[in-house]
Amino acid sequence: MMMSYPNKEQRTKCYTARDGLWNCLDTNEDNREKCLQIRKAFEDQCPPQWVTHFDRKREYLKYKDKIENEGFEPIDQTKNEDKK
Amino acid sequence: MSRRAGIDDSKRNLFSWKSFMISGGLFTVFLVAFLQFKREKMLSLEKERRRSMGKASIGGQFDLIDQNGKPFSSKDLLGKWLLLYFGFTHCPDICPDEIEKMVKAIEIVSKLQDTQEIKPVFITVDPDRDSAEAVKGYLKEFSEDIIGLTGTKEQIEAATRAYRVYYSAGPRDHENDYIVDHTIIMYLINPKGEFIDYYGQTKTAEDIASGVSMNMLKYASANKKFSLF
Repeated sequence: MMMSYPNKEQRTKCYTARDGLWNCLDTNEDNREKCLQIRKAFEDQCPPQWVTHFDRKREYLKYKDKIENEGFEPIDQTKNEDKK
Repeated sequence: MSRRAGIDDSKRNLFSWKSFMISGGLFTVFLVAFLQFKREKMLSLEKERRRSMGKASIGGQFDLIDQNGKPFSSKDLLGKWLLLYFGFTHCPDICPDEIEKMVKAIEIVSKLQDTQEIKPVFITVDPDRDSAEAVKGYLKEFSEDIIGLTGTKEQIEAATRAYRVYYSAGPRDHENDYIVDHTIIMYLINPKGEFIDYYGQTKTAEDIASGVSMNMLKYASANKKFSLF
């Protein structure tokens, strides 16, 4: 049987849990170990597809923020040789 | 006495009706030329924008089913302006945001003027899951005013093709859930059923409202019997 869509109340609960997780990660420099409980709450409140969606969104937002504020370094070919 | 007459004479020369008419006439000529130039510029800008949206026309007829399960044709909406958004009920965040924005934009427009009616319309890109009942329940939580439309796979394909809406259902997970990737654009359609304008995700409700109002004004003046320009 197909799942019903999350209604407004459920969506709000999911967004709140997501925001709680993102706040926790922000204050703990993305240390996931510090936010395990909140992560579980987030996964409980949101459908799995939405969890994946929001995880990706966070990665995108962080990347965008980094590019906008810190700039970026062009790839240095010599560095790759050292990594071997 | 002769001195006063002299002053009056010079006053009359400065403000004679003749010079007033001449400068008035010159002013009118310049004003008309300026307005004509402005109009032509706006028309060519508009043409350029249309051209950049693709040579083929966007929009047209659609035959779907409304949230009460009744057949619904785009003809039923002639005579009204429409803001049209394609989405789906299982959408995580974008659709709720866009639908709220659509409702708010229409609220703003309706406060600014009440002569031309505008309706929000939602068409699903997920006909497999979005039954009439699902669409009804979903939209009710945003506004009673939204017209919600669904249909068979073929009907939805036809409607999305007409509006050049991209949509693609993602892979199903262990719960049989999936996300539908789709174009995130709101379409403005005039009372004749013609596509007029579009608004992307970055536009706020206020941006949309002012775009809509401007188009309504243009439409009203273009459809008046006597127009100065």
